[in-house]
Formats: sequence, structure tokens, C-alpha cells
Amino acid sequence: MIDDPHFGFILAAYLIAALVFVGLVSWIVTDYRLQKRTLEQLEASGVRRRSDSEV
Amino acid sequence: MSLAFANPRRFLNVARIAIPWVAVIGVVLSGIGFYAAFAFAPADYQQGETVRIMYIHVPSAWLSMACYGLMAISSIGTLVWRHPLADVSAKAIAPIGAAFTFLCLITGSLWGRPMWGTWWVWDARLTSVLVLFLIYCGILALWNAYEDPARAGRAAAVMTLVGAINLPIVKFSVDWWNTLHQPASVFRMGGPTIDRSMLWPLLYVAIGLTFLMLALHLAAMRNEILRRRVRTLGLIAASTESLGPSA
Repeated sequence: MIDDPHFGFILAAYLIAALVFVGLVSWIVTDYRLQKRTLEQLEASGVRRRSDSEV
Repeated sequence: MSLAFANPRRFLNVARIAIPWVAVIGVVLSGIGFYAAFAFAPADYQQGETVRIMYIHVPSAWLSMACYGLMAISSIGTLVWRHPLADVSAKAIAPIGAAFTFLCLITGSLWGRPMWGTWWVWDARLTSVLVLFLIYCGILALWNAYEDPARAGRAAAVMTLVGAINLPIVKFSVDWWNTLHQPASVFRMGGPTIDRSMLWPLLYVAIGLTFLMLALHLAAMRNEILRRRVRTLGLIAASTESLGPSA
């Protein structure tokens, strides 16, 4: 397959697909960590929702 | 059943368990599919090795439409039933759908250059998929244009449902108009026209990527619920500070 004249197009398609997936997963994981850390900081400072205090 | 998961706290508990399992199933199935696509599936008698691009292009195209369908159903949930998680779901799936549509356009272009002799033609299928991508971008911009997520959710839901008219246009464009893009070869009356040796790796990749899409959707929904909690606590903290120590 490497000898195929269009190998570069195949490689580019899969490299771009891999980049898009890695980007999507990294963004979601980073966002999760950021939101969780911010939430923990707010809760540590004593801020509570009314529904949390009722539980 | 939808009401059982209406409570965001219950949803977070379910998502925490489901996300890794759904992701692992997705990785295994798509891994088998990609391996078979390169190791077992033959080169096409006309396209040669370039047919390998189809194993990422076709599932991306299907998922670009599936994500929009999911977003449209969530939008109905927002506008009609005011389901607490409906606009969370709609917002979470939008960037994932946009990513699959982008992949569909790019991989299609990389296939078109050696096979058609051009990166792009303004035929009905390609143009309607480009319109789908632009609608995704518009919806993402709309979500960021409002500070209040509830108002943004209603506006995005209306735009999503108006844009849903493009889905049948994408699907049937190759039947309604004379296009350079080939007609449907898997989901068609009379069954698939692709040889089984190429069809089964394609279906494995498609089902695997569908599971991965669902895992990403659940994870993005979890992030959005946390973001809204952060926003609520931020507002409570700000109002407490503005009232001063006597409050």
C-alpha cells in the first residue's frame, strides 16, 4: 500500500482523523478537570446551593 | 424512562459508570474495524488503495447526521417537554457533530482529489454537507452568545429544528439531483451494493465510532452539568458578597 501513488492522501486522511479525535478527547478531559476543580474550590470556600444543604 | 434520568445528580452517577464502558466498547469495535479495513479488506478494482479513506469518511458522514438527529430530538425535549437535561444534551453534542462533519468534508476532499481530479465540486451532496457544518458552527456561536444557558438553549433549539430540514436534503441529494457524488451504497432499498469483504469492516468502524460518540456525548453532558453548577455557585457567592457581612 505504501507504494501506491495515492498513499499520501490515505495517510493524511487518517492523520487528520486522529488529530480531530485526540483534540476532542483532550478538550473534554481538560474541561472536566477545570470544572471539577472550580466546583471544589467554590464548595471549599463555603458556597452551597440550597438544594445541597437540604440533602 | 427519560424522567428517571431527569435528575442531573442521578445522571452523573449513571454517566460515571457508563462512560468508560461505552468508550472501551467503541475503541475495541472501531479498532477491529480499522485493522480489518487495512489487513483483510481488498483494494477496490477502480479506486485501488484509495478506498481505505472510505472507512473513515463514510462513518464520519453517518455520524455527522446522527449527531444532528440527536441534537434535534434534544431540542424538541427543550421546547416541548422542558426536560432538564435536554438542552444540556443538545449543547454537548453540537461540537462532536461539528467535528464529525469537518472530518467528513476533509476526508471526502482527500478522496476526491485522486479519484475525481478535484478537491471540491459544488454538487448537491457536498454543498448540503457544507451547509450542515455551517449550521453546526452557527449553533455553537448561538450557545456562546447568551450568558443565561436556559435562554441560549431555547434559541439554539429553534435554530436546530429549522436547520433539521437540511438532513433529508443531505440524505436524498444524490437521488434528487444529478451529482458527482455516488448514490447510497449501504442504506438503500434492495440492500447494500458493497461487497461483504468491505462491508463488515465498515460496519465495525461505524458501530465502534458510534459508541465513542456516545461516550464523548455523555462526558460532555457531565461537563456541562458541572459548568452550570459552577455558574450557580458563582452567582450565589457574588450575591452574598454584594450583600456584605451582615447578610
